Amino acid sequence: MADSSKGLKRSSAETEGSQDSKRVKTDGGSNGKMGGDKYNPYLAHLDEGAHNGFKSPLDELERHKTTALQAVKAEDSDTNPWTGRPHSQQYFKILKTRRDLPVHKQRQEFLDQYHQNQILVFVGETGSGKTTQIPQYVLYDELPHLTGKLIACTQPRRVAAMSVAQRVANELDVELGEEVGYSIRFENKTSSKTLLKYMTDGQLLREAMHDHDMTRYGCIILDEAHERTLATDILMALLKEISTRRKDLKIIVMSATLDAQKFQSYFFNAPLLAVPGRTHPVEIFYTPEPERDYVEAAVRTVLQIHASEPEGDILLFLTGEEEIEDACRRISLEVDEMIRESDAGPMSVYPLYGTLPPHQQQRIFDKAPEPFRKGGRPGRKCIVATNIAETSLTIDGIVYVVDPGFSKQKIYNPRTRVESLLVSPISKASAQQRAGRAGRTRPGKCFRLYTEKAFKKELIEQTYPEILRSNLSNTILELKKLGVQDLVHFDFMDPPAPETMMRALEELNYLACLDDDGELTRLGDLASQFPLDPALAVMLISSPEFYCSNEILSITSLLSVPQIWVRPNNARKRADEMKQQFAHPDGDHLTLLNAYHAYKGAEQNGEDMKKWCHEHFLSYRHLSSADNVRAQLKRIMETHEIELISTPFQNKEYYTNIRRALLAGFFMQVAMRESSNSKVYKTVKDDQLVMIHPSTVVTSPYDWVVYNEFVLTTKQYVRTVTNIRPEWLLEIAPIYYDLDTFEKGEIKSALTRVTEKVRRRQAMKGGR
Amino acid sequence: MSSPKEDGSDHDYDDIPLQHKRPFGAGLHKKAIAFVPASDTGGQLKSVDSSSVARPLRQDVADLYLSMVMPAEDAEKDKLKPITTPLPLKTRTHSISEEVTPDICPLCNLPLSSEDFVPHEQSFAHQVCLPHSHPPSAIDRNRKGLAYLSAYGWDPDERRGLGAEQQGIQFPVKARVKDDNLGVGMHIPKGLPPPKKKEQLLDAKKVRKMAREEKRRGERLREELFGDGRLGKYLGRGDKGLI
Repeated sequence: MADSSKGLKRSSAETEGSQDSKRVKTDGGSNGKMGGDKYNPYLAHLDEGAHNGFKSPLDELERHKTTALQAVKAEDSDTNPWTGRPHSQQYFKILKTRRDLPVHKQRQEFLDQYHQNQILVFVGETGSGKTTQIPQYVLYDELPHLTGKLIACTQPRRVAAMSVAQRVANELDVELGEEVGYSIRFENKTSSKTLLKYMTDGQLLREAMHDHDMTRYGCIILDEAHERTLATDILMALLKEISTRRKDLKIIVMSATLDAQKFQSYFFNAPLLAVPGRTHPVEIFYTPEPERDYVEAAVRTVLQIHASEPEGDILLFLTGEEEIEDACRRISLEVDEMIRESDAGPMSVYPLYGTLPPHQQQRIFDKAPEPFRKGGRPGRKCIVATNIAETSLTIDGIVYVVDPGFSKQKIYNPRTRVESLLVSPISKASAQQRAGRAGRTRPGKCFRLYTEKAFKKELIEQTYPEILRSNLSNTILELKKLGVQDLVHFDFMDPPAPETMMRALEELNYLACLDDDGELTRLGDLASQFPLDPALAVMLISSPEFYCSNEILSITSLLSVPQIWVRPNNARKRADEMKQQFAHPDGDHLTLLNAYHAYKGAEQNGEDMKKWCHEHFLSYRHLSSADNVRAQLKRIMETHEIELISTPFQNKEYYTNIRRALLAGFFMQVAMRESSNSKVYKTVKDDQLVMIHPSTVVTSPYDWVVYNEFVLTTKQYVRTVTNIRPEWLLEIAPIYYDLDTFEKGEIKSALTRVTEKVRRRQAMKGGR
Repeated sequence: MSSPKEDGSDHDYDDIPLQHKRPFGAGLHKKAIAFVPASDTGGQLKSVDSSSVARPLRQDVADLYLSMVMPAEDAEKDKLKPITTPLPLKTRTHSISEEVTPDICPLCNLPLSSEDFVPHEQSFAHQVCLPHSHPPSAIDRNRKGLAYLSAYGWDPDERRGLGAEQQGIQFPVKARVKDDNLGVGMHIPKGLPPPKKKEQLLDAKKVRKMAREEKRRGERLREELFGDGRLGKYLGRGDKGLI
C-alpha cells in the first residue's frame, strides 16, 4: 500500500514538472514563483510544501487508477480540492442529492469501464443525472490540473450548455467561468483555470478546425448523441478518426434513448454502460379509428382527461406556435365552460415553444392551481408544447401525455435548394420518448391520437438525423477546413445523399470558397473562420469592395438572430405602423439596418432601451444579442484585417452600395417577377414560383429581388427581400450568371436583354 | 390504474350533477374519443426497477441493457413457442421441405416445379434476379459536384451512396407538404370527391355569367337533341314524350 502510494507521488511529481513550465507560460509569469506572497489556491497542487497544513484531497488519487471510494472521499473533504477554499454549507446539501441520483450507484462500474476502454457508450434516460455527474466523475479521474488537458462535454443546445455548466459549477462549489466554464457561439465563459468545459457541439467543431487532433482535450463527452444534430454527427466521425491517431484521448458518447447499439457498432464495438432513469410504467392508449382532425382530437382528449382522470398534469405535443396558441385558447374556453356547468377543477394552460420569451417559458414550472375549495376537484396544469418538451426539457409532475404524432421537421430539397420546416409524422422512437415523459413522477398514461396499426405501419423507426435533412454547404466548408480530403468515403454514421453533397459543393464553388478541384480557396479559408453560413460569410468578407462593410456587418448580425420585429396579436396594426417608420422603400434588409441604427441612436441618447424597444415593437432581447454578435464578428474581421468602412451617408450611393454588397453573397437567392402585373416571382435557376412574404415593407412591385430565406408553408414565400438591378448580377457574379448555363425561359431572355443594354451603353460611352 | 372505459363518454356524464345537465351537448369534451389500450405489453413502456438493475452482481452490461430493452414476457414467449406448436404440423412441414430442397433455383431461391406452364427460367421472379444493367442515373453529367464525387470514386450509375462502405442513402429524404389536419393513418381514399370548397359568394356579375353559360348549355343540348324539329315530327308526339 505504502509502496504504491509512493509510486503515485512520484508519477504525479513528474507530470507536475512538465506542467510547471506550461503554467508559467500561460499565466504570463506572474505565478511563476512558487510560494510567493500571494496564495493561489489553484496552484496549490504545485507546491504542497509551501503551504504547510494544506493537503489537497486529490493527492492520493492517481490518474486513470482512481476508485469511486477515493473520489467520494475527496468530495466529502472539508476543503474544495479544486479551489483550496473550504466547502460551503450549500455544497454538502447538493452533494447529498447528487448521491441519490441513479448514476451514482454505478460510479465504480463506470470508472472500471472508463479505465479499460478508450471509447465508451453510455445510455441513461433523462433524469439519471448523466449530464451533470459523468463529467464530474471523469474530472476526479482525469485530474486535468496535472496534465493540462481539459474535459469537454458537448450539448446540442446553447441554453443547455449554459444552464448545465452553472449547475455543475454549483455542485463543485466553484465560480462559473473558472474551473467549470462554458463556450457557445458568440459567448465564451472560460478562463485559463478551466478544467471542465461545457460547450455546444458546433463550438467544439469550430475549435477542431484550428486543432485537428483536439490536443487541448483529454476526454471528450458527446452528450445527447441520440439527437443526432449535424455537428454531433460530424464530431462523431471526426473523433472516430482522431481516436486511432490519439490513443490517449478518451471519448464517451452519451445517449438518452435505447438505440445505443448503432453507436456501439459505429465506434468499433465500444462497450456499453446503461443507467436506468427514474421512470415509472406508462400505460399507452390508441384511438380505435384514425382521427380526421388531430388538433381537435387533441383538445378533446385534454378535456376528457381533465373531466375523468385523477390528479396529474397534462402535456400535449403540437407542431407550431400558431397551432399551440390556438389550442391553448380553445382549451381554456372549454375548461371555463366545464367549470361552469360541471364543477370541474381549475386548469391553467401554458404554451411552450422555442420563440417564446424566456420569462413566459419559465411559467411552465409554476405549480398547478389549487382546487376551488378544500376537497374540491383537483386543479391541474396543461402544457401545450412543440417537441422541445420531448427530450431537452424536463417538466416534473406530468402524468398524462397526449401525442397526435406530428412534429415540425426541417427538410432540405437539394433539387430546388429549399430548406423548409414541414409538419411530418414523428418516428416510433420519438413516440416512445414522448410517452416516457408521462412517467417521471408516478405511473402515467399516454394517449396517442392514432391507431396501433398506424403506429406500427406508418411511423418510421428513427427520426432522420439532421445531416440527411440539411443543406450541407456549411458542413462541407467545415470539413474542408478540418482537412478532410475524401468526402465520398468520409465515415459518417449516416452519410448524406450524393445529390445533397453535390449541391453543396457546387454552391461553395460558385461562392468561390472551393476551387474546381474541390480544394479550399483563400476566400473559403477565411469564410470558415466566421461562425456563419458561407453565403453570409462571403458577403461580409467582400463587403469592403463595396465600401459598406460596417453596414453589411450590422445586417449580417441582424440576420443571424431571430426576427427583431414584434407583432403581438392584440396590436398588429400598431406594430405594423411602427415598422413603417423604419421602412426603406428598397427593401427589408435596409429596413433592418434602419431599425438597428435607430436602436443605436436611442441607446446613445441614454434612453431606457427596454422601454424604447417595447414602444417601437422591437425585440430588445434579439436586438441586444445582435449587438453582441456584431461585436464578435467585428473582432474576427479585425483579426483577419478586413477593413471596416462606410460610404458617407450623404452620398447618394450609400444604399445602392449596400444593395450591391448583398448580392456578393446572395446572388444565388434572386427571384424575378413572372409578368408585369403579377405578384408571383420565379427564383433564378431553380424555377420555383414564390410570393413575397406578407411581412415585407416592400410595396412597389420590383422586377428583381434578392431574398434571405425561402419559407415553405402552405404557399411558397421568400422572406426579407430587397430590390436589386439585374445588371449587377451579371457584374458581381458572372460565373453563376453565365447565360449559356441557363435554361430557355423568361429569366434567360430578360438577362439577355440586360446584357445587350449594358453592351450598347458601353459602346456609346466608348464612341463619345 | 383505471380501465380505458373511464375515458369514455358515459363516465364524463356521470360526473355532472343532474341540475347542471344540459339538454344537448355543446362542449367539445362531450364528443369523447374512446381510447383502447395498447394490445401487447411490448408497446407499453416498462418501468425500470432501479434496485434490480443496479445490482453489482450483474457483471455483463450487455445483459443489463437487453433486460431493459426486451421485456421479459417476450423472451418467455419465445421460449414457449417451439413447445406449444403441434408436433404433427412440424413434421409435415419438415417432410415438404425435404422433398423440395434439391429443386431450388440457385439464382432466385424459389422452388423449381415442373407443373408450371412456363419454364422456370422464363418466370418473372427468375428474370428479375438475373444480373442485368440498370438504366443510367438521371444526374446531369456536367455538374461540377459530380466531377468532384467521381474523382473520389463515386459512380452515379452504381446505385450506391456515400460513406466508408458507400452505404449511405442514394436519394435525398423527400419533403411532403402537409396542409390539412388529418391525423396519422388517416387517408382520404382517392375515389372520393375532394372535400367541399368554401362557399363562394356571388355578385351580380358572376350570376349573370353563370346564367349566360347555363343558357348556352341548354341551347346546345336542345339543338343536339331536337335538331330542326323534323326529328320530333318523325318521332311522333311533341318534345315531352321523348325521354
